[in-house]
Amino acid sequence: MMKYSKRLGVRILLFLLGFSVITVTLGIFVYVFYKGSSVISLSFLLEGPSGIPIGTDGGVFPAIIGTLYHGLLAGLFGSLIGIGAAMYIVFFSRHRFLRNLIQVSFYFLSGLPSIIFGLIGYTVLIFRFGLDRSLLCASIATGMMLIPFVGIRAQKILQEEGEPFIKESLSLGISKAYAVRKLVLPVSFTNLLSASALAMAYGMGAVAPLMYTGAVLFANIPERLDQPFMSLPFHLYILVTDGISMEYAYGTAFVLLVLILIIHFFVRSIGFFREGGEWRPWKKKN
Amino acid sequence: MRNDPIIKGWALLGAILAVFTMTMIVYYLIKSSLPAFLEIKGGLFDLNGEWRPRSANPSYNILPMILATLFVSFLAVAIALPFGIGTAMFLNFYVRRKTAAFFLSFIDMLAGLPSVIFGFLGLVLLVRWFETQLHMTTGECVLAAGILLAVMLLPYIVSTSYESIQKAEKRYMYASLAMGISKEHSIIKVILPAIRKSILASFMLAYGRALGETMAVMMVIGNSPIFPRLFGRAQTIPALTALELGSVEYGSLHLSALYAANVSLLVILFIVLGTGYLLQRKLKKYDEI
Repeated sequence: MMKYSKRLGVRILLFLLGFSVITVTLGIFVYVFYKGSSVISLSFLLEGPSGIPIGTDGGVFPAIIGTLYHGLLAGLFGSLIGIGAAMYIVFFSRHRFLRNLIQVSFYFLSGLPSIIFGLIGYTVLIFRFGLDRSLLCASIATGMMLIPFVGIRAQKILQEEGEPFIKESLSLGISKAYAVRKLVLPVSFTNLLSASALAMAYGMGAVAPLMYTGAVLFANIPERLDQPFMSLPFHLYILVTDGISMEYAYGTAFVLLVLILIIHFFVRSIGFFREGGEWRPWKKKN
Repeated sequence: MRNDPIIKGWALLGAILAVFTMTMIVYYLIKSSLPAFLEIKGGLFDLNGEWRPRSANPSYNILPMILATLFVSFLAVAIALPFGIGTAMFLNFYVRRKTAAFFLSFIDMLAGLPSVIFGFLGLVLLVRWFETQLHMTTGECVLAAGILLAVMLLPYIVSTSYESIQKAEKRYMYASLAMGISKEHSIIKVILPAIRKSILASFMLAYGRALGETMAVMMVIGNSPIFPRLFGRAQTIPALTALELGSVEYGSLHLSALYAANVSLLVILFIVLGTGYLLQRKLKKYDEI
């Protein structure tokens, strides 16, 4: 048996460790919100950057829209490929080798550092194919990064929610593909959507893949896919490392954080409503 | 029932593109790094060499960056591990379930933050603290990067160790309480040894994650291609790539050397991650018994 003092020591140590981690977590959010909220104004949100050097005045509106475009497009690429590949693994592949191959590609891609996608995207798309730095290139590079992010989650979702349907449909003589379209996809739609939305949030915050493939310091809102764009995280990075404006860096970080937190809350509330939170008294529990 | 070509086509296309992406990346990594490996050979990993890609007599020694990457990541995991496990223990044993779930999802949210924001905060808070409190001329150093990375790793370590602590609790806690052993004694002598292996697994996975972190580390480590010291500047391989990629020519030895550096990092990374995954899988099998 431990001595009382020793037990007390263990307890105090654990309390300290726990409190410090929770404080740091809280502190990060509070700090960004506190420092950022003083910068936020309507003109910061709705105007383009101006001033000399550029970024010291005006706002970040093109960057907000650019980040959203980029996130949507990259999320679309990543989730279309990821969900497709996951469906192939779970439902359609007849050979174990192919299944394993796709599985390996998921794990391989998920292990790669994000800068590798920037490196490959830059050499292949910009150097090799001679494309310009553009929204499309950046979204492809980021989309590659999101394939495993969606794929691994989608595989789990489809395995858990889809497999029972397939067995029953097959025993009724319905083709697999029809069952997937009419039964599995509608049932797992919200979960797949949440996975894609999380991927979008992840893609929106990434800098490394788009640094050299499409993001620039100043651009208007892109009207076509082959135009360069402004991105909030890249803008933040430039503001900080070039020492342009610390004040505006706080504002940019604030906007980026809010955008990403909105997506996270959206995803969480979907899960909450689906599972039926306990605070809804009118919903009877089984 | 009629067959559905759209769904089948989507699945097939997704599968092909996923495998294609992997093959393309592997192909380009090998193809582009080959010239550097063939031409520079031992010069890439030279204890006395330097990284001077732009001088008249260029030398490409990536050993300092590899060591710096390993060092920073090790530092980060070494700091994050005790804090993460301690927090998981605290939340599991001393906090009510609902409160713990709230804090866990809160800490989890940290994982969703973009690394640029971490880098930014590291620069304004950590680096400045090093400068004012420790009177360093520049606060950008390996230790700052290690601490920052540790904060970024916390969510992973907390959530994985929380899970394994819960499993161990289910398995052993009632028995040990029935023996009349105090909670703290069981934590130290029963739970901690029981989750030893899963700690090792999460160490490996967190280490792998830390190795590849780009932006946050790049913003606080100072980026000098020299051998790393705790309070000195250094440069990691992802940071090196991100910084120099914009100024290289296609087909140059410089680009090839960057590729070679990344390939070396990937080899280490996949050994680390592979061990982690194998360990985790083994543990899962053990749990099912």
